[in-house]
Amino acid sequence: MHVVIINGSPRAKKFSNTDKIIQSFAKGLQSEGSTCEVYTLSNRSEWEAAWAAFMTHDKIIIALPLYVECAPSLLLEFLATLPTERRKPATLSFILQSGFAEGCQLRCGEAFLKSLPAQLGCTFGGCLLRGNNFGIRIAKEGERNKILKPYADMGRSFAQKGNFLSPEAARFVGLETFPLVLRKFIMLSYKVVGHRKFSRTATEWGCIRPLDDRPY
Amino acid sequence: MKTIILNTADNIRPAEALQAQIAAKGEDAELIDTTTMDIRHCMGCNHCFLKTPGVCAIKDDYKQILKKLAHSDSLWLVSGTRFGFLDYKGKRVMDRILPMLNMDLCFRDGEMRHTLRYGTLNVGVVYSGEGNQQLLDFWCYRSSANLGGHSLGAYSVNKIKEVKVCM
Ligand SMILES: Cc1cc2nc3c(=O)[nH]c(=O)nc-3n(C[C@H](O)[C@H](O)[C@H](O)COP(=O)(O)O)c2cc1C
Repeated sequence: MHVVIINGSPRAKKFSNTDKIIQSFAKGLQSEGSTCEVYTLSNRSEWEAAWAAFMTHDKIIIALPLYVECAPSLLLEFLATLPTERRKPATLSFILQSGFAEGCQLRCGEAFLKSLPAQLGCTFGGCLLRGNNFGIRIAKEGERNKILKPYADMGRSFAQKGNFLSPEAARFVGLETFPLVLRKFIMLSYKVVGHRKFSRTATEWGCIRPLDDRPY
Repeated sequence: MKTIILNTADNIRPAEALQAQIAAKGEDAELIDTTTMDIRHCMGCNHCFLKTPGVCAIKDDYKQILKKLAHSDSLWLVSGTRFGFLDYKGKRVMDRILPMLNMDLCFRDGEMRHTLRYGTLNVGVVYSGEGNQQLLDFWCYRSSANLGGHSLGAYSVNKIKEVKVCM
């Protein structure tokens, strides 16, 4: 199977969490004998080739970060400005990934993505959902690999099934909401470790203002 | 109560009607027509969280919007639709709203959120075209919760008279 994968993140490829997720997913795909080509929408010079690939292939995955509860405006522009109408049937699947970790955070984006394929002349191939990806960009290699490995497993699964409609794909999202004890534990570890990690990154980036500054 | 109305739709009339409706109730409603402004897509650099807190790295006309949002209680977005959802111009002004939040995390109403850089912000949408009402209501509800506010609801331009003011 040959799969067209479109990275819908506006973030430059080098820093894009979606890109790292796609790389891991593609490894899984390829280990099962499938092939893929990847387009990155943050680079406008790839749009024309991405439009052409979108219109002419029959297995397409759009991988995207959740942006303010739905698809990023850049991806919406890419889809709204598709130069032609599809004539050839295709299966359109999605990898929707987000910063916040609970499954419920991704449901609005999922509702939109579910409605999208039919409007683009495609059939819906399912949505692979998972949060807790904000840290990929700033994580050390070991931690990063731990976050990314499950996507390689799903790449293998996609190579076999051709979609994300399996129970395994549905389970990928993890917990829908966090029970109170887990929330308390998360906040505790955030105060001890997470908060410090953000402050360290800010210092490395040359930040000289408090993170809760009010410039306006 | 200060309300900002951001118009991203080609036709400004619905936004003007909304402004008049809010003003008639004695509320302060400022209309900003973004269609003549230079506003680019958020590029996810995270500088507004971690490098220049609260300041967007993109130097365009959004800065003047942000300055006003920082001191507003409610935001109405008047937008066209595509694929049943906000069109990319409407979504674009919402994706740029991140500097209203801090990097810092907390749980609010049982869900993980960013803490608020300024006050709370209620969000409502007036849309033209074939909007998916359920989806837009869901989106308003979730987006306003992210900003610590409540949803003002999603209304088709044909139902603008039903918009409730003073919420
Ligand atoms: C403008 C903007 C809006 C975002 N909105 C959400 C959101 O509503 N919910 C969420 O969980 N994460 C949100 N995120 C976090 C991203 O989804 C997350 O960091 C993702 O891993 C970024 O992937 P990328 O590096 O490929 O862009 C947002 C990030 C940005 C920059």
